[in-house]
Amino acid sequence: MRTKGILIGVTRMAACLCALIVVSSAAPKVWSLGEEAHAGPARIDERRTKARTKKQMGPRRPSGTRRPEIKAQAPQAGPVERIEADVSTRSVEVTTAFTGHEILVFGSIDNSQQPGDESGYYNIVVVVEGTPEPTVVRRKSDVAGLWINTSSVIFASVPSYYAIASTRPIDEIAGPNVLDKHAIGFAHIKMTPVPSYQWSFGEEALAAFKAAVIRLKRQEGFYIMEARDGVTFIGRSLFRSTIALPANVPVGPLVARVFLFRDGEVISAHIARVTLERTGLERLLHSFAFRYPFAYGIFAVLLAVLSGLLASAYFRRAVR
Amino acid sequence: MNIYLPIAEMSVSVVLFLGLGWAVGFLSGLFGVGGGFLLTPLLIFMGIPSAVAVGTGSMHIVASSVSGAIAQYQRNNVDIKMGFVLVAGGVFGSAIGVGIVRILRDIGQFDLFVALSYVTFLGAVGALMMIESVGTIRKARSGQPVSTRKTGQHSWVHGLPFKMRFHRSKLYISAVPPALIGAFVGFMAAVMGIGGGFVMVPAMIYLLRVPTNVVVGTSLFQIVFVMAVTTVLQAVQNQTVDVVLALLLIIGGVIGAQFGAAAGGRLKGEQLRFLLAALVILMCLRIGWDLVARPNELFSITPMLGVVK
Repeated sequence: MRTKGILIGVTRMAACLCALIVVSSAAPKVWSLGEEAHAGPARIDERRTKARTKKQMGPRRPSGTRRPEIKAQAPQAGPVERIEADVSTRSVEVTTAFTGHEILVFGSIDNSQQPGDESGYYNIVVVVEGTPEPTVVRRKSDVAGLWINTSSVIFASVPSYYAIASTRPIDEIAGPNVLDKHAIGFAHIKMTPVPSYQWSFGEEALAAFKAAVIRLKRQEGFYIMEARDGVTFIGRSLFRSTIALPANVPVGPLVARVFLFRDGEVISAHIARVTLERTGLERLLHSFAFRYPFAYGIFAVLLAVLSGLLASAYFRRAVR
Repeated sequence: MNIYLPIAEMSVSVVLFLGLGWAVGFLSGLFGVGGGFLLTPLLIFMGIPSAVAVGTGSMHIVASSVSGAIAQYQRNNVDIKMGFVLVAGGVFGSAIGVGIVRILRDIGQFDLFVALSYVTFLGAVGALMMIESVGTIRKARSGQPVSTRKTGQHSWVHGLPFKMRFHRSKLYISAVPPALIGAFVGFMAAVMGIGGGFVMVPAMIYLLRVPTNVVVGTSLFQIVFVMAVTTVLQAVQNQTVDVVLALLLIIGGVIGAQFGAAAGGRLKGEQLRFLLAALVILMCLRIGWDLVARPNELFSITPMLGVVK
């Protein structure tokens, strides 16, 4: 009975994970996690202990009390926690008056077993990402006294926007491998250079380029880390988090991923989508410029001529 | 109050950009110049991508030159034939320039190219104007006559083929030099987002010996047509013309130009030229500084324009 419960849980988890992991190479890892789970609860405990000691979890649960707590909870593993989440605004409109927006990501944990909102039993991470786009990173160097772009790397897909909020700093929530797998945290965003560049630069040089992307995106306000307590619990199972969309946010669909962590592992995840679209005059002008560039050019010239003539007719004496 | 620019893809302050348009309009009214050479670098300093600044600049110049061109035409100050030769060259130069903008953007050297072009031209023109205006001011003080125009001189320009008769300018010269001047100015228009009047006017006076009364009208005529063509080409090839941004600048500029023209009436020509030269040199130094000073951030990122290979 118990094993069946775990099995169902594992399959559910695996399904969830599969759905959210875009990169196919991660799939085997999901199954390896499944196998470990099959090996029995003792093995999981071992893994957790290792992860815990490495990461130095907060003072709330000192190492002495930890083990019995997990053992006591093991028989209850039947009803598995599941996270469900949604966003306050499913579609955000970028108009000429757009000055940024704040979306609320909220949800609840089914079968929550934490005693209260301050218990720190679960951790939640909310990641909101924009469309990945190919991005060129250039580096300047001193050429005969002038600072000139001399080397460049093209990353095939860099999220145009990336906001993260969590119940506590992410490196306290899980180990680097888990964060890497789910692309949680700036340092764990998957950025693959276009193959030809991978060969011409060493690991270190590529790391510098990658760090530059993150640094510049943060400066531009496109990569956002919500302050401490970015995600807050309300009672045992409800949680909420606000994510800021800056005024110059790159327009395109956004994906909000919500992860439920317990003891350094993702135990459930949920995906919600937000559309971010130009509307009204904003949309009209943009699609005009990109779909009918010739007509747009003529329109721009006519507009310029008209406004120039109107202005001079208004200020007649200005004409010299 | 902020407004979202559809092409530059950023939210900007309406007041700030109206003010910028006003300031550039004031200076161009004061000095009687187009103002493109001031506007484009200022837009870049404000964070507008340089390609958008250049593309939008050409639209702004159409608006700020068109009424002047029509007024000059009505006063019969335009040599139409010369104008068309200049425009033909200009369109050719502009087409090449717009294509080069595309290539330079792809390889990541557009900003550098724009900066180098500005430093070179602003430096040269600023220095020449400074020398000339200081000389004139000195002469005026020592009581010498200020007129310098010499007529009837022949130079290498007169030995070229394809001679044409330009009635309004009272000239019988080869069509090659005006076409070349037009092409050069058209190229600069596309790459630097300037009208090029400050290059064309001296070139017409000193190289072609066009009479001063037709120079301004004819160059305005060329500027309007070439900038109109450049605007369309930039829109088609690079999608870098932001009409919302241009309208803000035009509205601000029109008002600023009134104040500038009023203020300019109180100063002497050579004093104005001296001030303009100082402004041009300052601008040149400012752009040049960015090229030689060690930048705080060595890296830059841009979304790919084309398809990833």
